[in-house]
Amino acid sequence: MVEALLFWFLALVTLFGAVAMLLVPNPIYAAMSLVVSMIGISGLFAFLGADFIAGVQVIVYAGAVLVLFVMVLMLFDLKSETQAFSKGLLSRIFKVASVGFLLGGLIGVMVLEFSWILPVFMQSSPQWTMTGVKKMAQLLFTEYMFIFQILGVLLLVVAVGAVALARSRGGTHERA
Amino acid sequence: MGADFLEVSLNALKLIFFFLMMVQMVPLLVWLERRGAGFIQDRLGPNRVGPFGLTQLLADAVKFLMKEEFIPQKAVKFLFYGAPIFALIPASLALCAIPFGPKFEIPAFSFWGRHWGPYEFILQGYEVGVGIVFILAAASLAVYSILMAGWGSGNKYSLLGAIRASSQIISYELALGLTIVAVVLIYGTFSLNEMVTLQRGPLSFEFFGKMVTIDFLPNWGIFYQPIGAFLFLAASFAESNRLPFDLPEGEAELVAGFHTEYGGFKMNLFFIGEYGHMIVASALLITFYFGGYELPFLTSQELLAIYQEAFGVGLTSSLLNALTHFAVFMFKIFIVLWIFIHVRWTLPRFRYDQLMELGWKTMLPWALGNLLLTALIYVASKTY
Amino acid sequence: MKGLELFTTVTYAHFLFLSFVLFALGVLGVLLRRNLIVVMMSVELMLNAVNLTFITFAKALNQLDGQIFVFFVMTIAAAEAAVGLAIVVAIFKRFREVNIRFFQFLKG
Repeated sequence: MVEALLFWFLALVTLFGAVAMLLVPNPIYAAMSLVVSMIGISGLFAFLGADFIAGVQVIVYAGAVLVLFVMVLMLFDLKSETQAFSKGLLSRIFKVASVGFLLGGLIGVMVLEFSWILPVFMQSSPQWTMTGVKKMAQLLFTEYMFIFQILGVLLLVVAVGAVALARSRGGTHERA
Repeated sequence: MGADFLEVSLNALKLIFFFLMMVQMVPLLVWLERRGAGFIQDRLGPNRVGPFGLTQLLADAVKFLMKEEFIPQKAVKFLFYGAPIFALIPASLALCAIPFGPKFEIPAFSFWGRHWGPYEFILQGYEVGVGIVFILAAASLAVYSILMAGWGSGNKYSLLGAIRASSQIISYELALGLTIVAVVLIYGTFSLNEMVTLQRGPLSFEFFGKMVTIDFLPNWGIFYQPIGAFLFLAASFAESNRLPFDLPEGEAELVAGFHTEYGGFKMNLFFIGEYGHMIVASALLITFYFGGYELPFLTSQELLAIYQEAFGVGLTSSLLNALTHFAVFMFKIFIVLWIFIHVRWTLPRFRYDQLMELGWKTMLPWALGNLLLTALIYVASKTY
Repeated sequence: MKGLELFTTVTYAHFLFLSFVLFALGVLGVLLRRNLIVVMMSVELMLNAVNLTFITFAKALNQLDGQIFVFFVMTIAAAEAAVGLAIVVAIFKRFREVNIRFFQFLKG
């Protein structure tokens, strides 16, 4: 019962953040509500026993990625955005309908292909705390070593690329 | 949370106590800061209200409460009011996850015709298995209150201060995180409680297959991580926006940074948040590098044995043990806070480009090098 | 009583359904919003929904591989955000707004 309450609370927080992000016209409020949603998702991760991932989720998304978004938004000062949503009633209906179709398809796949998971209750399996993190590190640095290194290279390329892109001429950094 | 009503309520009380402790330490710290500034600048500081001016801050709080509520015309109301409240959350969340003392036990007793089983409490708001990750996560949310305040004020100075503050915090979080990775490498755990227990007794470590024991030094982290400790201290200065890294509030350029438009009690809340960050930073520094709540040459079990000899086994000795270590921890915290204050009134402020250069071109490489060195020595001394 | 069980117990299907809804909201955000930065935030939300699915299955199957993939997804998401925001900054410098209208100026 307590578990269920916790789940519904976290789910409501997450959904509230996501819906608010979708509907609020001011992009800064949208970013703030996405932060709420991210924290809710991190709570769900902790609820599922992935404590470490939950912490990393907050550090990476709420603490770094969305701060970047918020900072860029604040520098642009987009307070006076007149039209937040795309135009056309027909196209809007079409878009919402297609998303509904997608959602139905996802649920259908879950019911048809993963029907074994439907009645499985959350069992209170042993918490993956430190031993889990150690196991994860072992897995990461043996089986997934190649992907890990590729990601390192990717991050380097991305860092160089982002600096090169943002440094482009124009604005206050006019060069020659 | 606890098995029965008493345990749950005691845990809740503990949580409230640790939150209130942070809030209550702030007036004391402000007093210490102003008196310390007076001491360094060869003047007196506040000394009129109460003994040694100790109640000056109470009077200030009353003054803050009496002040007029003021909102700038261009402010975004929701963010403007939300930011000071939000400023308290990260620091108090983080502080409650730091252990302030060893476990203390309440032996089983019967009361009101019921048996109340033996309880065990840690002097800590709540115990988190991945303590460090939790604290880093909580601390990383601190940027939002600054950004909310800066943008919500509708003032260019506030916005510039907020942007400066957040970019500074993000830059120095890297160096901070890397030093913490080295710490985790040494102790092999994320739990702050386990770290403190690992720092008990005299300095002893395995070095190339031999056990080395140095009796006259405690087994503190600073002897394993001297560079890391210094980097951590410097980075935590930047994280809590203190001089010499208080560019976000550089008066000469930005009036008062992100809280230019704030006054009265809202300003006070920012103050509490900032000092809360200082307290968290110094508590973490002590937990990582200076033995946490443990005394240098007397482990908590030995002290407990001494107390048990004097007062008998039971609640008294275990409670006394916990309180002694709590006092030790607070003493250590105040020493580090005094370093914070002393640095504030001795070092000049950096220029903004110097600050960024220090963060990215000096602290980050040193932290990386420290991590690499730690890992190399660790592996070498384990394998050969 | 059968109906109430949906609310008083938690199955893995709850988490999966939640993640589907979050994903759908993310897709809606990409389709409906006109601000480029909000579109990117919606993409982040979609990635997070996928992460939630990964973690749920990691727990249900009691395997850690799902958690590791969440790590990879987070890395990619951070990289994507950095590059995307750099592009947005470049667009803002050129067009003085960060609207999807800028796409009509693209030539290829």
